[in-house]
Amino acid sequence: MEIIEKIKTNQSLDNLTEIQKICLDKLQSSPLPNPKSEQWRLSNKSKFSNFLNYSFNEKDPKFNTPFPNTSQNTIRLVIGDDCQINLIEKNYSIKQLSEDKLVKYLKEQISCFDQNENWSDLLNLSLNRKKNTLGLKINGSEIPPIEIFSHASSNSLNTKTLVIFLEKNCDIDLLQVNLGKYNSSLSQSTFICLEENSSLNHGVVSYGESKSNLLNSLNVIQQNNSEYNLGSLHFKFNFARFEIRIKQSEGNAKTNIKGMQITKKDEQISTYTKIDFHGPNGFLDQINKSLADDKSHAIFEGSIIVPKIAQKTDASQLSRNLLLSNLAQIDTKPQLEIIADDVKCKHGATISQLNEEELFYMRTRGITLREASKLQLSSYFQEIISFIPVSKDRWDLLDKLLNEN
Amino acid sequence: MQSKMKESGPILEVENLSASTENLPILKGVSLTVYPGEIHAIMGRNGCGKSTLSKIIAGHPSYNITNGDIKFLGENINSLEPEERAQSGIFLGFQYPIEIPGVSNLEFLRVSTNARRKFLNKEELDTFDFEELVKEKLEIVKMDHAFLSRSVNQGFSGGEKKRNEILQMALLEPKIAILDETDSGLDIDALRIVASGIKKISNAQTGIILITHYQRLLDEIKPNYVHVMSDGQIIKTGESDLALELEKKGYEWTDNFIKET
Repeated sequence: MEIIEKIKTNQSLDNLTEIQKICLDKLQSSPLPNPKSEQWRLSNKSKFSNFLNYSFNEKDPKFNTPFPNTSQNTIRLVIGDDCQINLIEKNYSIKQLSEDKLVKYLKEQISCFDQNENWSDLLNLSLNRKKNTLGLKINGSEIPPIEIFSHASSNSLNTKTLVIFLEKNCDIDLLQVNLGKYNSSLSQSTFICLEENSSLNHGVVSYGESKSNLLNSLNVIQQNNSEYNLGSLHFKFNFARFEIRIKQSEGNAKTNIKGMQITKKDEQISTYTKIDFHGPNGFLDQINKSLADDKSHAIFEGSIIVPKIAQKTDASQLSRNLLLSNLAQIDTKPQLEIIADDVKCKHGATISQLNEEELFYMRTRGITLREASKLQLSSYFQEIISFIPVSKDRWDLLDKLLNEN
Repeated sequence: MQSKMKESGPILEVENLSASTENLPILKGVSLTVYPGEIHAIMGRNGCGKSTLSKIIAGHPSYNITNGDIKFLGENINSLEPEERAQSGIFLGFQYPIEIPGVSNLEFLRVSTNARRKFLNKEELDTFDFEELVKEKLEIVKMDHAFLSRSVNQGFSGGEKKRNEILQMALLEPKIAILDETDSGLDIDALRIVASGIKKISNAQTGIILITHYQRLLDEIKPNYVHVMSDGQIIKTGESDLALELEKKGYEWTDNFIKET
């Protein structure tokens, strides 16, 4: 109950929003995730305690972006930074969601929450104040790419919530960047609804500094004929969890996911995905890559749920992993739960080390072992990085991974 | 001719070389000396140690030298890393060139060429200058420019892979090239292109070791010496007519030499 007390003492009960009260109430029955459950059993307990240890007060709400200056062609928003937007252009509009709609939508979501599976969202919504919630309603065409930042400040646990409605026939590129600071925890919950015939190219790039922690939860609902493409990259966190829940609510939707997590030192980064097909003719192509070095630990658990209603589903989930040290650890578990009988589903996992013969071949051409390893890693990273939208021109992620990480 | 070759010192000296992998002896006292301008052919049954010899000269980390020395231009290179050997001028053409998905052939060739140029105190080439150089070298192996934009060896046919090896040899301008079964998997036309490429690249200052099973490559490139290997040893050395005799009599004929030794 410690966490509940901490939330209550941090904020006067009178000041709690309706959403906060609902979530706090839910948390009363299970204040912490079940450490024996599938979703949490591999999470490092002391690192998770460290995540919760920080004060809920935001110490340094100002944020100096270390990233390229915003381009004229890109819309950049920073959650919590007096973030307001109300753009009505000839072909498109990006508007703030009204308070009523935001609360209504979140209440609907919470009503479907599984106490354990959605624990990260419950924590996020029970802590979050209005100013750290951004709700957007987007429609139209020829919309410029959007970048949305969430950041933590040192010595505190910060919560940010993002809700996006993509209206019918809308098509956008969105890059979400989550930044950890030294000694900080960031709880990011994102809720996205793709209406009919809409398409979202979504990039999620999360990286921290020494001793930063992250709970990153992403909930996506896809309606008929929508297409959701997710390219994600998580690195440089002491402890990070990326939870992806995608529901194709009526089937006939397309999902492509290419994600990667990179762990070094004694870091632990995990990705949990649950893809739910609730109608026929759904499509999924997912690849998740982990790279673990030093004494670090990378985890992937993916599940694909295909009930009877989801006939003609075509789903593929592949986990590819590189283990760079004898002391590093990788756990991977792609899973299928299929009830429908007319589907095409496959899954697989590989764990390997850098290919010795490839390295020797390059070295016999005068390329040093270090450079040869870099070339191999760059080809390993490239598949994922090239799938992250908005980043290609201005964000040199590959260089960041190869030279700074 | 041969006395002229031997006026300068040897490029490569393999002296009584024994080597093993995972405690399994593979080479059992191989000696071989290559002077500038010489072409040596090494023949022998599968598993006799030919490819292992080539990998050990190139510095493969899976093999341990248990006895003997490898000298390159008079210097002992037993403890040099593969990249140091390559930069100083040792080239190994692979029997099965490795595919490296995601690494562009052009970039790979440029990085390799610059590593060698740096060793030779030559100016490193930027992408533009390198394109000019590679265009000229592509002619030697009759390769299309389109191969450069693909990943290293990925999706290449057997013949294209071997031509890519010779292209690398042309760019790196080695002092000694060890070509491990470069002729395997080639049709007659491809064999001629590869052989003609090797001849164009080699000169009086370079040495070549051809590892092969067949006379047909040696019809195109006439060796000065032919060595027959068996069970990790060179059991007979002769001139080019030794290869013809082997072709006629088969490897069973060489079993007699083993009995003699």
